[in-house]
Amino acid sequence: MADVSYSKSVAAEPAVAEAATRSPRRWMPSRERWLGIATIVAFIAIWEIVYRLGLMPKWAFPSPWKVVLAFQELIANGKLLTNTAASVGRQITGVLLAALVGIPAGLALGASPTARAAFLPLCRLLYPIPGIAWIPLAILWFGVGFTSTVFVIFFSGIWSIMFNTMTGVQTLSGQYTDVAKVYLASPSLYTRRILIPGSLPYIITGMRLTYGVGWRVIVGAEMISSITGLGFLIDDARWQLRPDIMICGMITIAMIGWVSENWFFDWVEEKTLVRWGMRTA
Amino acid sequence: MLTVENLNKKYVSHGSVTSALVDINLRIEEGEFVCLLGPSGCGKSTLLKIIAGLIPATSGRITINGQPVSGPGPERAVVFQDYALFPWMTVRDNVEFGLEARRLPVAERREVSSRLLKVVGLSDFAERFPHQLSGGMKQRVSIARALAVDPSLLLMDEPFGALDAQTRHLLQDELLRIWREYRKTVVFVTHSIEEAIYLSDRIVVMTARPGRVKQIVVVSEARPRDMASADMNQRQREVRAVLNEEIARAAALEEADLMAGA
Repeated sequence: MADVSYSKSVAAEPAVAEAATRSPRRWMPSRERWLGIATIVAFIAIWEIVYRLGLMPKWAFPSPWKVVLAFQELIANGKLLTNTAASVGRQITGVLLAALVGIPAGLALGASPTARAAFLPLCRLLYPIPGIAWIPLAILWFGVGFTSTVFVIFFSGIWSIMFNTMTGVQTLSGQYTDVAKVYLASPSLYTRRILIPGSLPYIITGMRLTYGVGWRVIVGAEMISSITGLGFLIDDARWQLRPDIMICGMITIAMIGWVSENWFFDWVEEKTLVRWGMRTA
Repeated sequence: MLTVENLNKKYVSHGSVTSALVDINLRIEEGEFVCLLGPSGCGKSTLLKIIAGLIPATSGRITINGQPVSGPGPERAVVFQDYALFPWMTVRDNVEFGLEARRLPVAERREVSSRLLKVVGLSDFAERFPHQLSGGMKQRVSIARALAVDPSLLLMDEPFGALDAQTRHLLQDELLRIWREYRKTVVFVTHSIEEAIYLSDRIVVMTARPGRVKQIVVVSEARPRDMASADMNQRQREVRAVLNEEIARAAALEEADLMAGA
């Protein structure tokens, strides 16, 4: 039901006598890298060909070069920067709020069968509501702008982080709990030193999903409930008949999403799970 | 002194009651090294966990220096078979965990962990993470973690069961050295006769399920013990004779289970 993905076993790892030599994981073998790049280049080439052949009406289908020019224009007049900053600010706020509520809630749900019995049915009812469906209510409650967008990101994203954290706690080896009991660890020490780091593989996966969901929903939210942001930039370009600007907005969204999802979270994993041998690179 | 009086443990599952331990009575003196030896599934680990306060007994009483045991306590520490180290903590932080729980100041924790890492020969590995260590090293860390809280009673649940023979011998000698030096009472669960005879002052031989105390064998030979000597061989034959019967019974029970369960 939830966006729960099972990561590799937390507890069981083969004993390694020497320090595991860490290989830089992001670098694919060069042949594969080139294949990937070639496909992207081919994609742009086909785009250009479709444009030149006039298979699509030119007023609605800009050439790649025109998009580059639009990028130049948007950078020069500052619109790209301000709108990107607006979107990223909302995204970070919404995701952080989701984490701030979702992680403690997930810990509680994972640790307490009573909490699960009480709250899971409600969560399961709310979870399938698409984030976009909250937008009209959010506008009524918070007006157009920052708060309503953040609200939508929050409500779309909280489930992944919450359910994943819960699963992380539930699958944590009982032996760690035994150790905590033997050494008389307080509940707060247990939570800080065992529950949270022990569930981290799931928490990070949950954050990845929450982040992804937020970034995907933000554009829709901004189209409807905002007068800034990349979603607004794209939607506003419709009135100006500027498909090149729309594509600029889309590419920016793709780039930011790609960088943060693939680089930021990989970096976090590298510093924690890989370092601790809880997930092999 | 540890006493176990009329201890019983029953498990209820799917409405049927299974006896795991029946009428266990033990008296273990201060500073004694006692092995619980028995066929697999005889409840020796269960008994250890009850003594540790991790699971409750169904009936009976355990006292340590006259005080009844109702849960884990500061005078006991446990070394688990699969080390149970926290992968997200460095070796040093693992060793200091019990002290952190006791809210000892950082400087004092450092001092204790440095000393104990030296004792188990892992000073150079303090800042490593457990996954970077071999099995034997991990178990050394686990022993250091247990010693750090300065328990009078050290409970060890087949601690060397997962190690290769050479590492195992090495750690047995190391454990005896530590035991002599720190004067702990040790209760050590094993299914290896050699290990029990090599280590213990007394061996509590348990029956196949449900676990009862079948016989207590006193091993009075001076340490270090030469396992190849005639005396030790005689001792091994003696214990083996007692245990073989139970191993055969345990195997028969297991077979019956499989037939019934299939």
